[in-house]
Amino acid sequence: MSEISAAIGFNLIVISPTIALVGTALALLFFTITIESNEIVKKSITFLGMLITSFCVFLKFGLFFENGVSSYFTQKILLDEFSLFGNVLISLILLFNFLPIWDSSKQLKEKTTEAIILTLMSASGFMLMVDSENLIMLFIGLEIGSISLYALAGLNRGDKLSNEASLKYFLLGSLASCILIYGVSLVYVSFSVFSVYNFALGIAYVGPDSVPLTTSIGVLLIFIGLLFKIAAAPFQSWAPDVYQGSPTGYVGFMSSIAKVSSFIVIARLCLVSTNLIIENFNIFFLIVIVSSALIGSLFASIQEDLKRLLAYSGVVQSGFILSGIVSGINGTSASMFYLFTYILQLIGIFIIFSIINGKLSSEFNIQSIQGLFINNRFLATSFCVFMFGLAGIPLTSGFVSKFILLTNLWAYEKYLLVSILLLSTVAGFYFYLRPIWIATIEKTEAPIEILKLKKSEYLVISTLVTLTIFFGLVPSSLINISRWIVRSYL
Amino acid sequence: MTGLVYSFILLPVINSLLVFLIPNRRKELFRPLTVYLSLIPLGLCLYMFVNQNLKTSFLEVDSIPWITAYGIDLIIGFSGMSFLLITLNCLLVLLSILSVNQEYAESKGFLGSIMLLQAAVNGVFLAGDLVSLFIFFEALLIPMYFLMGIWGGSNRRYATIKFILYTVFGSIFILAGTIYTGVLSYISSGKFALDFESIASMSITTSQSEILFLLFTFGFLVKVPLFPLHTWLPDAHVEAPTAGSILLAGVLLKVGAYGILRVSIPFFTEGFLRYQYIIAFLSVVGIIYGAIVAIVQIDIKKLIAYSSISHMGFVMLGISAGRYLSLEGAVIQMINHGITSGALFMLVGFLYDRRHTRRISDFGGLKKSMPIYASIFLFTSFASIGLPGLNGFVGEFMILMGSYPTFKVLTSVAAFGVVLAAIYMLWAYQRMFNGQLDNDENAVLSDLNSKELVAVGPLLALMLFIGIYPSFIESYVVQDVSVIYESISNLIGVSQ
Repeated sequence: MSEISAAIGFNLIVISPTIALVGTALALLFFTITIESNEIVKKSITFLGMLITSFCVFLKFGLFFENGVSSYFTQKILLDEFSLFGNVLISLILLFNFLPIWDSSKQLKEKTTEAIILTLMSASGFMLMVDSENLIMLFIGLEIGSISLYALAGLNRGDKLSNEASLKYFLLGSLASCILIYGVSLVYVSFSVFSVYNFALGIAYVGPDSVPLTTSIGVLLIFIGLLFKIAAAPFQSWAPDVYQGSPTGYVGFMSSIAKVSSFIVIARLCLVSTNLIIENFNIFFLIVIVSSALIGSLFASIQEDLKRLLAYSGVVQSGFILSGIVSGINGTSASMFYLFTYILQLIGIFIIFSIINGKLSSEFNIQSIQGLFINNRFLATSFCVFMFGLAGIPLTSGFVSKFILLTNLWAYEKYLLVSILLLSTVAGFYFYLRPIWIATIEKTEAPIEILKLKKSEYLVISTLVTLTIFFGLVPSSLINISRWIVRSYL
Repeated sequence: MTGLVYSFILLPVINSLLVFLIPNRRKELFRPLTVYLSLIPLGLCLYMFVNQNLKTSFLEVDSIPWITAYGIDLIIGFSGMSFLLITLNCLLVLLSILSVNQEYAESKGFLGSIMLLQAAVNGVFLAGDLVSLFIFFEALLIPMYFLMGIWGGSNRRYATIKFILYTVFGSIFILAGTIYTGVLSYISSGKFALDFESIASMSITTSQSEILFLLFTFGFLVKVPLFPLHTWLPDAHVEAPTAGSILLAGVLLKVGAYGILRVSIPFFTEGFLRYQYIIAFLSVVGIIYGAIVAIVQIDIKKLIAYSSISHMGFVMLGISAGRYLSLEGAVIQMINHGITSGALFMLVGFLYDRRHTRRISDFGGLKKSMPIYASIFLFTSFASIGLPGLNGFVGEFMILMGSYPTFKVLTSVAAFGVVLAAIYMLWAYQRMFNGQLDNDENAVLSDLNSKELVAVGPLLALMLFIGIYPSFIESYVVQDVSVIYESISNLIGVSQ
């Protein structure tokens, strides 16, 4: 028995975060169906589950330092720096989003547990996705994660926009999944392999110049499927509607977790599987990045809904992160730094949105934050810090991430990308400073009702603000971590 | 020594935090406390002048490792020119806080933002590497955004966004230049060393030097501002509150010229020699254009704003000529313009507080109702025009003398700027202060009170002091100017 498990690489630790998340979800389900339990029990179970997940990620570090980069379950699960980074980020996203998710779910009354279970299942899927070595595992993880997200978008059944968001997300998301799995099948047709490493071996075997056309198309389709998830233009059309329609309390979770996992998978695909033929896709990525920067900046400047604005800003930021990933190893490390700091700012902004706008509401007109500064100084200041961070103003982590990313791009001699991205930064100053203007400067006739924050909300928001400023002033540690992630590809 | 230099950045930040900490119900405490707190940095400046040898070129004091993986350190240092500008900044911050009216004095956000602005501007002048220079250069936008946005005039939204977007558009060129320099330094030395010493010793080709010069200079010229890039300035000045205008004209415009003197010319001299004619031409266009547009202004604040374009044109002409005398004149003119335009904006602010209008035609015969104000305004106007014996004369004379051998025609044209300055300043004075006191509202205006006299007094004293003893200031800029001049003369091999 043990020989068999050793042969197939059976190791529970490596999938322990996923197991912990699924286990928590099942426990919640059990408590809901069988025993009449109060909210405190459920809340503690959820929080405990998230803590156990983080602990399991910690265990995986132990396994990694023992075995190094290694694959398990007959080359289905991979343990490398990227998967660890992804696990850490996903558990951080869960922990930071616990409050808005819990509070939103509580407002759903009879569907509370349902929403929490969806969240946990989604996280478990994306955990699996960042761990996947096998393209089919990648697809399974992505689907487990995404299907829960489609349901989360439509949780508020009474709200038309929420329904629309869910349907749109589902239809376009399934289309993207189809494209992805078709790409996987095309890749399989050429080399009869699913593993990303074996795929790279296959390409090396036939030689990068004589890669069959079906493979190239397959890789392209895989990339398109993943680019859809990160909302890079021209695959961004779902993002504004989904961001706007989904219950505000869940948007921070939904947007950050899908982005993190997809970017990590894209980075691994670029560095491992297709590193020999990645130059064939230069034009494709150039178009994607340039159109992300332009379309995102252009449309973000004219939005009247804050959540739509953040969606388009996400398109621009995706362009930034993607530009580093596709240009090389050092660029990938800069992108990982960028991803980390961007996710922290994104979560922070959406926590603030969910406090101001109500957890379940969909539309969020930009004028409704008028007088925020008079109402709640703490919220307004944190909002400004996150917005400054997204705009890339010095003293926040946003500046450092843009600076090192552009430095790497320049070193790769991608001058066109640098100039386009710099210009989009200027546009960013326009559309990120506009909400700040409305929140702090514009005088309001009718002040919005006084917002009272819970102690835990203070704690989470101030932690995120501190991290945003800390990585802006002392970025060295995180940059070293981001370089550690890519060290085995150097 | 290290701690002293850091304190010019940290003290204003701490001061602003202290002001933010006072509860809102003790409104009457805000201004006295702020004034006392901003006396500390100014006192430190004077201490440094007395006890330290500031007559030096740029001296690195301390370095902090910032991104170790890339080898980027943040470096802080100072030079004689930096310290003159820092002293000017600290002085103008103190005086502008003294000069603001009650409404602003009771807003701790306003006072705190001014001190944050002070910290950022001091940071620019103390930065010893390109990254920290850029960080402070951009960071000063944040307090300026709130100063103009919250406490500005009726059209402040347009003016603020225009100001921010212009500056950011300029600064992306500086960022691109910084990144390019870093990559070049990586190629030659294996790390992204961006401190001034490594850049000075870096060997670059002529074409690289030209590209880098263009990138940096364009970014800084937006801030100066040079002629076709100037359109944000009148809007910003008209909409900014008085204290904002004082600091904008007094120190923020100098940040651009400082950047050119500190970075563009000494490090990328070949680029400078290639493009100096274009800059000189645009400067002269700016001098004449600013002066002519100033003549026809109906708003006195806008008039002074356009006069700033003209005066900063002289600074850029002196810099672009690249001669020892003209460079020295340009630095002195930077200081002088800070003093005179700060005083002019302060005086206009006093008048606006009383009368709530800035239209020149609304006034007339003011010297009967406000004799002290009228005489101070005339004195400052003379300093701005460049009357011998006052500070404005020294800088402009040195610039014109120094630039003439390089640009004979352009300098001759630029000299007309002085005549035009006399026209717009004196004509405005004539319309506002001479003639009949026919408007009843003007007749009852009270003259300057003691607080306002204290606010403007030090500036008047400096105008006179620099006018009759310019070698005091000159002795502090000699070292800096020599370094810049040597970098130019080494290339063209001419001594003068």
